[in-house]
Amino acid sequence: MARVVVLGAGISGHTAALHLRRMLGKGDQVVVVSPNSKWNWIPSNIWVGVGKMTSDQVTFPLAPIYRRKGIEFHQALATALYPEGSSDVASPHVAITYTDPARVNESATLSYDYLINATGPKLNFAATPGLGPDGHTLSVCTAQHATETAARLAAVIERMRNGERQRLVIGVGHGTCTCEGAAFEYTFNVEHELRAAGVREMADVTYFTNEYELGDFGVGGMVFAQRGFETTSKMWTESLFRERGVHAVLQAHVEMIEPGVIHYEQLDGTKSTLEFDFAMLLPPFRGADLQAFDATGQEVSSEVFAPSGFMKVDANYAATPYEEWRAEDWPSTYESARFANVFGVGIAFAPPHQISRPRTSPNGTVITPAPPRTGMPSGVMGKTVALTIADRIKSGESVAPHKASMATMGAACVASAGVGLRNGSAAAMTMYPVVPDFQRYPETGRSLKDTFGEIGLAGHWIKYMLHLVFIYKAKARPLWFMIPE
Amino acid sequence: MDNANASIAAAPLPTGQTLRRRKNLLFQLWRFAAINVRMLTMITKGSH
Repeated sequence: MARVVVLGAGISGHTAALHLRRMLGKGDQVVVVSPNSKWNWIPSNIWVGVGKMTSDQVTFPLAPIYRRKGIEFHQALATALYPEGSSDVASPHVAITYTDPARVNESATLSYDYLINATGPKLNFAATPGLGPDGHTLSVCTAQHATETAARLAAVIERMRNGERQRLVIGVGHGTCTCEGAAFEYTFNVEHELRAAGVREMADVTYFTNEYELGDFGVGGMVFAQRGFETTSKMWTESLFRERGVHAVLQAHVEMIEPGVIHYEQLDGTKSTLEFDFAMLLPPFRGADLQAFDATGQEVSSEVFAPSGFMKVDANYAATPYEEWRAEDWPSTYESARFANVFGVGIAFAPPHQISRPRTSPNGTVITPAPPRTGMPSGVMGKTVALTIADRIKSGESVAPHKASMATMGAACVASAGVGLRNGSAAAMTMYPVVPDFQRYPETGRSLKDTFGEIGLAGHWIKYMLHLVFIYKAKARPLWFMIPE
Repeated sequence: MDNANASIAAAPLPTGQTLRRRKNLLFQLWRFAAINVRMLTMITKGSH
């Protein structure tokens, strides 16, 4: 009998847990530890943030699903890993502290044969003074944040109806943020709602980003083949900005936020301020606050985790210049660099470097998007690691791991630009591979056949379909496993 | 300072026909099917 503990119940962890339960025998145990009681389809938080969906439409309680599937669930926060055991518990184990209201602050240890770290991001609002719901800006990172943001947006629209001009700033709140795609989506959903409310002419909408140019999205931009020409995501995105009358501030790192004022630095070293009446700025991410200890009780966190708090896996972490980055730098098995029975997946694994070209201001400020590894790649990693663990439990530890590198996997991104079954819009994009491979695709780093983008109502339908399908899948309804990650 | 807004101002605008096509139900139904096929093809090319 084997016991697999999964830390985190987001897209990656939940996917891994469900596949493990499906693949392992009844005698094997699958245990999930998550500080949250609910699963959240985060891509639809955008729609909660403009009041088009409620929090309940994008979340559901995890406990009933896990009870039905025979997965042990602990609503708790993992605090420390003991992969070699400790003086108290001989077997590998993880220390947890309950967030479950019935056992709040109670501590426990969970032994494991295999551990998956899918703890996702810590929303690091503290990296920028004044950033976040506890400061002076808003967020759509959680369903609760998005609900609060929708109420503030409604208030702003009401002020515009009363004849008051408003300045709306949407983007990212630090030079090293990721998820620019989500900020882009929220920008155009807000713009769409302003037009629907008849107040568009009363609003100045600004997209605020750390990207070097529009259309970068943290993946170094894309090149599409359209109508016999190569075109770029930069041109394509700028066209949408022009069409919808949205301004942009690029190459920006937020230094501090005061009530109604963003203080920022740009790549050329200039420092400026931007005033706002409404600001939704995403935070940078860092890894969960997890420590690791060896058998003697010595802390080995620096060997297990990168300084960012993300888990080191089978990537090439040697510091190399951009020109020497290779597709092979990216991990494929997600096995911990230190412990073979520990895996880091989804946002929790430490990427070897950015995907976009790294840039630093003359003041030494890094202003470069961190690589996105949410959504589809996260689900694929979760399933890949589940396959490896299931094989090893059934056939022995020497079984070769399954592989899924972001340099050999594609991703679909459907960026909503407005809700509505008849008048909605979205930019549907695919890229293959996520991490450019200039050895394999010397011209653009990606397959021109499989990298494309298209704006239209169909994109909105696809986004809404994905909302329904992935919630169905996450609820482990019949044949859920037939739905690709 | 970046030159984002100058670059946006110089970006090509979609033609009226393109804008109508983006909202046309029949054309978009076709695109819905085509994009889904394209995404599934791309997904199956991955190494997982």
